[in-house]
Amino acid sequence: MLQLKPITVVLAVMAALGAGTAMAIPLAYISNQLDDSVSIIDTEKRTVVDTVKITGKPAGVAVAPAGDKVYVSTPEAHGFSVLDTQSRMVLDKVTVSEGSLGIAVAPDGQRIYVADWYNNTVSVVSAKTLKVTKVITVGESPSGLMVSPDNRWLYVANRGSDSVSKVSTETLAIKKTTPVGKHPFGIVITQSGDRLYTANVESDDVTVLDTATMKPIATIKVGSLPYAVALALNDSRLLVTNQTDNTVSVIDTETLKPMAVIEVGEKPEGISTHPDDRHVYVANWFDSTVSVLDAKTLRVVDTLKTGEGTRAFGQFFSK
Amino acid sequence: MKKNLLFLPALMFAFASVANAHGPVRQKAEEEITINAPAAKVWGIIKDYGDMAWHPSIKNTTVDKGNEIGSIRVLTLQDGGAITEELKKYDADKMMYGYKITEMSTAKTITHAGAEEKVPVLPVDNYTANIGVEAKGDTSVVTWKGAYYRAYTNNNPPAEMNEDAANKAVSDVFKAGLANLKTLAEK
Repeated sequence: MLQLKPITVVLAVMAALGAGTAMAIPLAYISNQLDDSVSIIDTEKRTVVDTVKITGKPAGVAVAPAGDKVYVSTPEAHGFSVLDTQSRMVLDKVTVSEGSLGIAVAPDGQRIYVADWYNNTVSVVSAKTLKVTKVITVGESPSGLMVSPDNRWLYVANRGSDSVSKVSTETLAIKKTTPVGKHPFGIVITQSGDRLYTANVESDDVTVLDTATMKPIATIKVGSLPYAVALALNDSRLLVTNQTDNTVSVIDTETLKPMAVIEVGEKPEGISTHPDDRHVYVANWFDSTVSVLDAKTLRVVDTLKTGEGTRAFGQFFSK
Repeated sequence: MKKNLLFLPALMFAFASVANAHGPVRQKAEEEITINAPAAKVWGIIKDYGDMAWHPSIKNTTVDKGNEIGSIRVLTLQDGGAITEELKKYDADKMMYGYKITEMSTAKTITHAGAEEKVPVLPVDNYTANIGVEAKGDTSVVTWKGAYYRAYTNNNPPAEMNEDAANKAVSDVFKAGLANLKTLAEK
C-alpha cells in the first residue's frame, strides 16, 4: 500500500499538467523531408510560426501525450530527434537503427516505438533514458505504427509482407499477424481501440480490421496509391490520402462506403486529425503545402505553405 | 499438395519484398517550359499516352488501352532499353495525365557491397509522374513533375543508384522532352 503513494502523487501531477496543456493552442509539427526541417503550425492562426532545422531527412512524427516533446524520425541519421516544444530546440539525437522511419509514442508517454524499414524490426525506446530497451522482429519493411488507447497493444503495418502485426506491449511478443491489402503503410485506430484501418498503397484500398480477433471486416476501394489514414468526428469518418490522385477519400465508417473525394495538393502523404476532432491536416509532399480539411463540410478550408517535401507521417498534433 | 500450398505464401512474400522495398527519402523533379503556341496545339502533340514520338530519347511506343486508366505502354528507347508504364490519371479538360513505371530493362550490372546490382535504364524506383499543359493567353506552359526513390533499395547506395543519379537522370529526360516539344509545337 505504501508503494502506491508516490504513484498517486505522480498521477496527480500528470493530471495537473494535462489540464494545463489542454488549454494550450494545438500545434501541428510537419516534417519537411527534403528541407531537413519541421514546420510548426499554430492551428488557431493557421500560420507557420516557426521552422526548426532537423537533419537526417525527417519523416515520421510522434507528439508526446504531455505535449512537451516531439519525436521526429530521421532515416538518414538512423534514428530520431527529440524536439522540445517549449524552446523549439532539438534536445537529443537518438541513434536507433539504419532504416528508422515509422514512429509512435505510447499513450502514457513512457515509450517510443521506431520501425526500421530495412531491418524488419521495431525498436522500443525508453522516453526517459532514450535508450533502446528491446528490438522486436516483425514483418518486412514495417512502416505505420499505432498503440492502442489502453496502451496494451502495438500495431505494426508490415509493408513488404502485406500484413499487420499485433504486439503485446507487456511481453513485447507478436500475438497475431494478419494479412491485409497490398503494402499497408499508414494505419489508424479508433478511440475505443476496437478497429484498425490500413492504407494499402499497392492495392488502392483500405482494410478494416477488428482488433480483438484481428480479422478483416471489410476492404474499401479508395484512390490511387493510398498512403495514410485519419479518423474524425468521433470516428465516424475515415480520411485517406491518395498520393497519385491528389485527393483525400472520405469514408463513412458505419456503412463502410466512400462518401466524398476531396481535391488537395499534389502527392498528399501524412494526415492527422486536429484535437478538435473535426479539422484534418494533410501534408502535400510535392507542393510543400498543408491542406486543412473540414471533415464536417468536406471542404478544404485553408492551404498553408510549409517546407520542401512535407511528409508528416504519424500523429503530428500537440493537444 | 498440402506441402506445396504451405510454401506458396512464403514465396509470394519474399518476392513482394524484393520487388517493392525502396529508399527512405522520396525525391522530386519538376521542369517547366513556355511554348509560343496555343495550349490546344501543344496538348494535341502529347495527348496520346500511347504516342511518345515527341520525345527524342524514345524510338517507339506501344500501348494496350489507349488513354484509358490502367492502360500499359511500353517505351522503347533509342539505345534499345525499355520502360513499361501504367496510366494512373487522365484528364483531357485539364490537359494532363499521370503515370507510373511498372517495369524497366537493365542498363548495366554493377558489383556493390559484394552483390550484383542491376542498374535500370532510368535509375529510379517507385516512380510516378505527370505532365500537363496550361494556357497562358496565346502561349502555353508545360509542366512535367516526377516523384520517385533512388534505384538502390538498401542502405548505402552505389553512385550509379543514389539520389543524385536518380535526380540527374529524371531531370535530363524531362528537359530533353520539353525542349523537343517546344520545337515541334512552334514549327
